[in-house]
Amino acid sequence: MADPASRPRPLHILAALGSGGLLSLMVLCNSTVTAHAGPFWGSLVPHATGTVAALLALAVLRRPSPPGQGAGAPAWAYLGGLLGAMTVMLSSVSANTALALSGTLALGLVGQAGFGVAADRWGLLGLPRRKATARDLVSLGLILGGSAILIFGAPA
Amino acid sequence: MIGPIAMAVLAGVLIGLSRQVNGRLSLSKGALGASFWNHLVGALALVAAVLALWVGAGGPLWPTALSDVPAFAWAGGALGVVFVASGSWLVSRIGAANTALLVIAGQMVTGALLDTLRGAEGAPIRALGVAVILGGVALRSKG
Repeated sequence: MADPASRPRPLHILAALGSGGLLSLMVLCNSTVTAHAGPFWGSLVPHATGTVAALLALAVLRRPSPPGQGAGAPAWAYLGGLLGAMTVMLSSVSANTALALSGTLALGLVGQAGFGVAADRWGLLGLPRRKATARDLVSLGLILGGSAILIFGAPA
Repeated sequence: MIGPIAMAVLAGVLIGLSRQVNGRLSLSKGALGASFWNHLVGALALVAAVLALWVGAGGPLWPTALSDVPAFAWAGGALGVVFVASGSWLVSRIGAANTALLVIAGQMVTGALLDTLRGAEGAPIRALGVAVILGGVALRSKG
C-alpha cells in the first residue's frame, strides 16, 4: 500500500492537467465527426487515425522493448480499446435523453471519481493499492463541486 | 430515467476501467505501446460494428457526409494517442483517483477557458468554479 506521502509531484500535476486539456479538444474533434457521420464513424475515425499516429510515433521514438517483445501482460490488458469504443456509444446515447450533455458529463465525472477511489482502495487489475486520506476526499469534493458549478452554473 | 442515469455513470466507470487496463499494459509495453493497442483494438471492434450495421441495414458503407467533416476534426485520433499514453503513464505512477481527478480538473478548466475566449456569458461563475477546482488540485499535490 502506497503511503499517503507519495502524492503527485508538479510534473505529474502538469501532465494530468495537460492531458485533461487535450481531452476537451479531443471531444470537440470527435463530436464534430459524430455530428456529420454518426456515433460509429465518430469513434472509428479517431481510433483508425490514432492507430496510424501511434505506429508512426513508435517508429520515431524506438524504445528498447518494441511491441511484440516484452512479455508479461495478461491477454485482458490488450482489451482496453473495447471499453473505449463502448464508452463513446454509451455517452452519445445518454446525451440524447433528458439528461442532455451536461447531465451526462456530470454523472460521468462521478463514475470516474468513484471508480478511481475503488480501484486504488482494492488495487484493481494489478496496479498498486493506495489508501485515500481525509485530505484526498476533501480534494475530491472540491474538484467535483467546482466541476458542478461549471456544468450547471453557466447560462445555457 | 434510471436507464440513462446508469448509462452515464457506467460511461464514467468505463473510462476509469480502460485507463486501469491500459495502465497495466503500459507496464509491459510502455505508455505509447499501450496507446497503440488501445486504438488498434478499438478500431477493429468498430470496423466489425460498422460492417454488421451495413449488412443489417444496407445503405452506403462509406457515409458521404464524411467528406464534409472539417479538417481540424481529423486530429482527434492523434490527440487521443497522447491522451491514452499520458493516462497510462500517470495511472501507474500516481494511482487511479489522482489521475482521474486531475484529468477532470484539466478538462473542466480548459473548457471554461475556451468558453471565456469565445466570449460566452457567465464569466464570474466560471471563475468561481475554476477557483474551487484549483483549490482541490492544490490539496492533492505534494507538500
